[in-house]
Amino acid sequence: MDGYAKEYEGSHLMAASVSRMIKDGEMIIVGIGLPLIAAAIARLGHAPNSTTCFEVGCIGTNSKRMPWSVADSACSDHALASLEMWRMLSDVQRGFIDVGVIGGAQVDRYGNLNSTVITGSDGSYYNPKIRMPGSGGSNDIASSCRRTIIMMRLQEKKFVKNIDYMTSVGHLKGWDSREKAGLLGTGPEAVVTDKAIFRFDSTTKEMYLSEISQYSTIEEVVRLVDWDLKISPDVTIMKPPTKKEMNLMLNLDSAGVVLGSGIRLDDFDKYIKSMMNVYHLSKANVFP
Amino acid sequence: MRSDSGKIIDLKTAVERYVFDGCTISLGGGIAREPVAVVREIVLQGRKDLTLAGAAETISAEILVGAGCLRKIEMAYLWIGVVGQGRNFRRAIEKEIPNKPEMEDYSMYASSMRILAGSMGIPFLPIKSVLGSDISKFNKKLKIIQDPYTDEEVVLVPALNPDVTFIHVQYCDPLGNARILGNLGNDPTLARAARRTIITCEKIISEEEIRQNTMMTSIPHYCVDAVVKVPYGAHPEPVDGIYAIDEPFIWNFAEQSKSREGFCEWMEEWVYHCPQQSDYCEKLGKGRLDALSDVEKKFREGMIE
Repeated sequence: MDGYAKEYEGSHLMAASVSRMIKDGEMIIVGIGLPLIAAAIARLGHAPNSTTCFEVGCIGTNSKRMPWSVADSACSDHALASLEMWRMLSDVQRGFIDVGVIGGAQVDRYGNLNSTVITGSDGSYYNPKIRMPGSGGSNDIASSCRRTIIMMRLQEKKFVKNIDYMTSVGHLKGWDSREKAGLLGTGPEAVVTDKAIFRFDSTTKEMYLSEISQYSTIEEVVRLVDWDLKISPDVTIMKPPTKKEMNLMLNLDSAGVVLGSGIRLDDFDKYIKSMMNVYHLSKANVFP
Repeated sequence: MRSDSGKIIDLKTAVERYVFDGCTISLGGGIAREPVAVVREIVLQGRKDLTLAGAAETISAEILVGAGCLRKIEMAYLWIGVVGQGRNFRRAIEKEIPNKPEMEDYSMYASSMRILAGSMGIPFLPIKSVLGSDISKFNKKLKIIQDPYTDEEVVLVPALNPDVTFIHVQYCDPLGNARILGNLGNDPTLARAARRTIITCEKIISEEEIRQNTMMTSIPHYCVDAVVKVPYGAHPEPVDGIYAIDEPFIWNFAEQSKSREGFCEWMEEWVYHCPQQSDYCEKLGKGRLDALSDVEKKFREGMIE
């Protein structure tokens, strides 16, 4: 099954791109959804010795099905270990976790993220226009992982000059401000979106356009980013997912929990059938 | 010394005795294995002005916020999960419906270390997270100091000693020795941090069974004030090894919660018309509950639990 997939969606492109940034043998911490798919296909592909863990404490899940949350019972299913939350996140702080994959509703040019409040033009943190879930483990992963990869879609109002609230710190104010603030690790290495990949200048720590999807244009990317985006002189095309990667992704999520609307949630019987189907379809424990 | 005898009580008594208006309450689990039956009972008994403190909650928090029970929230994450938005939480903070609790944002690690400090009987613990972020800027209880040994900056998180915690576990013996399978949350630590700890469990096992598998004891009995048997006490959340997540039920809750009226209708149907846990289970039906158990056991075949 050689070669690139002919048809794929933004989510598949993002998962494949992030997966390729994971090195063999690494400890990865993720939330559910696309970051988990990326970690899973890395392990099933070029990084067989990598291990995935969740911020709430399960390490090395080996379930036949995709978890519904970071604390779903699928996370502890045939897992290597189960730790208390405070211990798992202390392990992150101690430097045991190599890479974290996080996202947010807003990101700024230094890779700082907001997942707490959208203030709107006349609101504030105390009286927001939109209240969001809050940090969860995102701030902790951003603060202390050896490095992070930001994964989010490139859409209007997401890549902004000033985020309304700094939930998770990336490169803070650029240059050496992150290090001076006392944070650990090297911060975000890239921002992977469905249209482009951004990387960070090694000195200024400001985001620049590095790679672009074959279906997008530089004009479109510049339009969607609210600041004067820096562009690399050598922008390359994002490698599409390979046929093998697509196959892995679709098999991992055969019930469509993350990648599609395969699973029926308005019908309990169909939900149960889908879950049992996943069990029977899986020839082996494909889910790392 | 906490009393070791006669700890088994029923759910109504546990909530009556240990949850008082204005108290600070923490819930065990978090995103999974939340003590949802306890939360419904708290609402039925009309408790108010509570401070909900902890790391992450989903449907439990949505019910408490929507029912107007909360005066304050000290959390790192509040939502319904992937199938919808935390509409009750959003309505409360954005529109003050039914009321607007005071919000104190933490990160998961900051919250967890609060619980650890509380469990050790010390006033605070230092962390490196939240430095430079707006979490430490807006939350005045997080104090940034210079480490007296190295002059580096660290953030102090204040100890959390909730007045009461309810932790739902798989197995517990009559003395209060609790065995948690799979995801632990911060439960073994939370059991020590709280002033009063009530264990609700799927099944009561004997002291001998606990002793046969010493390493599996997650919470020793001296941390526990009361034990309540509540089968399906975390539904619709999963209980590792016992039943899988009832995602359609959560999806339905999220759909109905899109409007205030929809949420109130859901409360009428699933809380006010189910005064006992047995009413709730009967309404769900044995078929549904058995299906969730079967799925869970199927996937965990081969595990020793």
